[in-house]
Amino acid sequence: MTEKAVLVVGGGISGIQASLDLASRGYKVYIVEKSPSIGGRMAQLDKTFPTMDCSMCILAPKMIDCSHHHNVKLLTYSELKSVKGAPGNFAVTILRKPRYVDETKCTGCGNCADHCPVEVPNEFDENLGMRKAIYMPFPQAVPRAMTIDKANCIDCGLCQKMCQAGAVDLKQEPQETELNVGAIVVSVGFDLFDSSQIPTYGYGRHKNVVTALELERLLCASGPTGGHLIRPSDGKIPRKIAFIQCVGSRDRRFGTTYCSSICCKYSVKDAVLIKEHEPNTMVSIFYIDLRAFGKGFQEFVNRAKSEYGVRFVRSSPGEIMENPATRNLSIWYEDTVAGRIENQEFDLVVLCPALVPRSDAKELAKVLGAEVDEYGFFKAANILTSPVDTTVPGIFVCGYALGPKTGDIPDSIMQGSATAARVAETLERV
Amino acid sequence: MQEAKLETEFDPTILAFCCNWCSYAGADLAGTSRFEYPTNVKVIRVMCSGRLDPTFVLSAFRWGADGVLITGCHPGDCHYVQGNYMMERRFGFLKEALGHLGIEPERLRLEWVSAGEGEKFAALVRDATQKIKLLGPNPLKKV
Amino acid sequence: MEEEEPRIGVFICHCGVNIGGVVNVPEVVKYARTLPNVTYAEDNIYTCSEAGLTSIKNAVKEHKLNRVIVASCTPRTHEPLFRSACREAGLNHYLFEMANIREQCSWVHAHQHERATEKAKGLVRMSTARAAWLEPQDEPELEIKDTALVIGGGISGMTSALSIANQGFKVYLVEKEPELGGNLRRLHKLYPTMQDTSEILDPAIKAVNANDKIETLTSTTVSDVTGYVGNFKVTLAKGTEKRDVDVGTIIVACGAVNYTPPKGLHQYGVFPHVVTQLEMDELLRNGKIEKPPERVVMIQCVGARKGEIRAVDLAGFPKSDTARLLSKILKAKKEEGWPYCSKICCMNAIKNAILVKDKFPETDVIILYGDVRVYKEYEDFYSRARECQVKFIKHIEEVTPEITQESEGKLTVTAYDALSGQEISLPCDWVVLSTPMIPHKEEVILARMLKIPISSDGFLMEAHVKLRPVDTQMDGIFLAGVASGPKDVPESIVSAKAAAARAGTLMANKKMRTEALTSVVDEEECFGCGLCEEICTYGAHYLENGKSHTIAALCRGCGACAAECPRRAIAMQHFTDDQVLAQIKAGLTEEL
Repeated sequence: MTEKAVLVVGGGISGIQASLDLASRGYKVYIVEKSPSIGGRMAQLDKTFPTMDCSMCILAPKMIDCSHHHNVKLLTYSELKSVKGAPGNFAVTILRKPRYVDETKCTGCGNCADHCPVEVPNEFDENLGMRKAIYMPFPQAVPRAMTIDKANCIDCGLCQKMCQAGAVDLKQEPQETELNVGAIVVSVGFDLFDSSQIPTYGYGRHKNVVTALELERLLCASGPTGGHLIRPSDGKIPRKIAFIQCVGSRDRRFGTTYCSSICCKYSVKDAVLIKEHEPNTMVSIFYIDLRAFGKGFQEFVNRAKSEYGVRFVRSSPGEIMENPATRNLSIWYEDTVAGRIENQEFDLVVLCPALVPRSDAKELAKVLGAEVDEYGFFKAANILTSPVDTTVPGIFVCGYALGPKTGDIPDSIMQGSATAARVAETLERV
Repeated sequence: MQEAKLETEFDPTILAFCCNWCSYAGADLAGTSRFEYPTNVKVIRVMCSGRLDPTFVLSAFRWGADGVLITGCHPGDCHYVQGNYMMERRFGFLKEALGHLGIEPERLRLEWVSAGEGEKFAALVRDATQKIKLLGPNPLKKV
Repeated sequence: MEEEEPRIGVFICHCGVNIGGVVNVPEVVKYARTLPNVTYAEDNIYTCSEAGLTSIKNAVKEHKLNRVIVASCTPRTHEPLFRSACREAGLNHYLFEMANIREQCSWVHAHQHERATEKAKGLVRMSTARAAWLEPQDEPELEIKDTALVIGGGISGMTSALSIANQGFKVYLVEKEPELGGNLRRLHKLYPTMQDTSEILDPAIKAVNANDKIETLTSTTVSDVTGYVGNFKVTLAKGTEKRDVDVGTIIVACGAVNYTPPKGLHQYGVFPHVVTQLEMDELLRNGKIEKPPERVVMIQCVGARKGEIRAVDLAGFPKSDTARLLSKILKAKKEEGWPYCSKICCMNAIKNAILVKDKFPETDVIILYGDVRVYKEYEDFYSRARECQVKFIKHIEEVTPEITQESEGKLTVTAYDALSGQEISLPCDWVVLSTPMIPHKEEVILARMLKIPISSDGFLMEAHVKLRPVDTQMDGIFLAGVASGPKDVPESIVSAKAAAARAGTLMANKKMRTEALTSVVDEEECFGCGLCEEICTYGAHYLENGKSHTIAALCRGCGACAAECPRRAIAMQHFTDDQVLAQIKAGLTEEL
């Protein structure tokens, strides 16, 4: 039996919380993260409801704790390949994808990126902005190192020439590492429902129809527009903005019949944020049920209505049509409370899509031998009494990987800590 | 909002002492809630309102403060049990002392603000600034 | 006082646009460079990022700084992070100071850019003045006892106790009632599985009783708590018997209660067939409803979501009704209640509606609601209710539904349908009121004993509502279950395990370092009056040979002794008179 070690798969806020709780009590924690940096979805957000804290401000210190903590080893740009064994003794294989940059030498100065000739859409910015083939996903990335996206790299070697730290290593190969751990925590988060599956909303065709996550990137100071909310089609400031709730949620057509639990809340938050930026903007939220529960939230909604003048329309809009000249959008909807069918024009439409499991969650579940529920989220061993245990002993799950049981960030954090308790209980007995 | 100060309009300088556990947190909450208030107040953090030596308050007025706000935990809620009670006792004496020095006692205020009372803190700053504006500059400044 | 001259480094944060969008940060940096003792100043986009911290460390080394000031957000969140950066750069972290130019400047002066900038300069000036007087300190180490106290023996308390015991620590589980179980003892079924509560309650009670690390004390309350993290002395009371225990950590799982409407609200307490959901649950369980009711009407949000006026678009309603509606709305404005949404009442009502339908399939069940706040996969539970023919009617909440009685069990509910604007009249046998979860009245006493604050909604307050949802502002004290706000059973269990994890981490480490904020007596000045000994709440002062001395382990750093000492013979480390006076002067004048 080795020293107490834990594998955390997924470096978002819930995985980070679990890792810090475990590392603080002396366990060795390996965080495996598929992207070049930990941080997850919270890093992409501008502000969090209802406190309107700057998301990165409250996340960054935890990310840095992970990188500095002597008990935490970050394995970013890596994936879990196989798992064998039992609680107390799991043999796991991690694939370390080559980033072609030596993390120990890279200072994150960005000189290489300045000279890289290749520009591709930046996934972190939801493809609204560009990055280079050698890149850092966002300025506060942890670890603070560049990564080469080999698929788009043209092998010109300029980055290597320009690097003064000698950190570029174009000869890196994928590496498989074997680790022995006592328990595994899964915290892989979520993806967004593909809104183009609802053709009447025009996502993907109408330039000024965006998802809420794209909106976050537009609002965020470190995003593609430096925090200026401008429309994708012409860069103008939108004066009339519509939010549409439940895009793909509560919808039998796509099997995502559940409520994603956070969209009503974040859209009110975004509406207030927009009003703070530009008080003269008209913001309308089209909802079915306004699910503003949770600490301080009803009060926040009340302020949104009375102080900020956000308009709430109880309606699930039918069709969004684009005016080809102005690229404005006109929404046809039935105002169920007023009992009228209306048509209204907006400069920008924000879709709040359902939150769905990560595209590779099923694959990961297979590797772990864990069951998923009918929606594809990791199944809890017992939703009432063992909410963070998977169906495999010794493997636990937290955050949105569990599905919409996670109401919001505090829930993710509580689940992260709860898995730490479960890991400690498990390893104490082994 | 009009930013330019009118030549004739008096712009008070006010210091606020906030205790780490309650009122400083309440002031922070006013910030996270984005309640707006005038810029005239600057906060000094202490661990407990009970820390406030009367000399601090008197020196503040001597050095030209137009107003001093003391904030702490509500009675019964002091993180250190009794610190706020001790401050309250000193407060009575301080008001009297100010009167003897020719400073209007209303320039010194003591209010209890809890960590959850962001709105109260903002309202206090607005109210205090307004009232001290009406009182005019610290009389010692003319000396 | 250190012999060497202070060399202060000032780091001013933009925090993206949070500060930089209001305060002219470059101007403040320029200003900082003009201040006495300031050797170096720079701005950062995010000082708390890896880049910012590295910049601080590099500047300390390069410019031989011996004081660091970061002007950014509140010290209450990031001070530990910056302190650790200072330590890594070889600087004692008590030589570090922060200026709050975000929560207490840019965020509250969003439309006063110039004045906010001037204020930020003033705050930086105050910090540099204080920093010049700062001294390095050594932090005492505290031992953490490996025993925990869990206050409250409901499902959350039991979950925390079991988790802590399974992590290898001893636990005292204290419950004020004669039995364990809490609120769940009064509930019949749990959604969405519709299993009996006994199915989860009984195994938990059994496990608690079987666990030899858990000492369960029923009919017991906490009557006093003294001490500090790692070393709490708790007095437990059972009747007239008192017992003292020493624990390292405390988990508060004191639960909450269901709001009982005042007599007369919706005729509750006046008409016998107007009941709360909890009462309906009991009636169903005890078979007290013998004859199948014709119709049951449930009203949501009774006593919840109150206090704010919701805007009503009257444009679509028949004009003749508008005047009547308005007067009803004005009457409703005065209605008492709690402002928050209690989160679980929609699901609870649906659960009871399904229970009624299961027992009496012919009964018509109608739920009058404002928003149906089911969430997560409970959406499917909502669908199930609709499939059982439970009817959901969105009513205009601003107009309080009126209830009239023809005879016992023959009631009529009159409300306004929000979608048609029509008045609806619903004859029924039972009216069930969904009321929120509210804090215990006694919670205030507990909060005071533990010195933890209460939020504006009345529940116990977490250290940070987003990032530290089970911590409190007191190190070593954590929150579990509905004590901090309404939750359903799985959420309560998760929070209880999270609290157990946080408590367990402290106890597993056996030691922790604590702040060096203690009093120091200048024996030359002290003339032994004994006032400090008299007023110290913690007994941290004692007199010997006519002079006062401090017991550092007991001193909590409040500073009352320093303020009361007639000879000014007591200094508070890190909050000395010189330091505070320097800050005051700098806040008022530019001359230092």
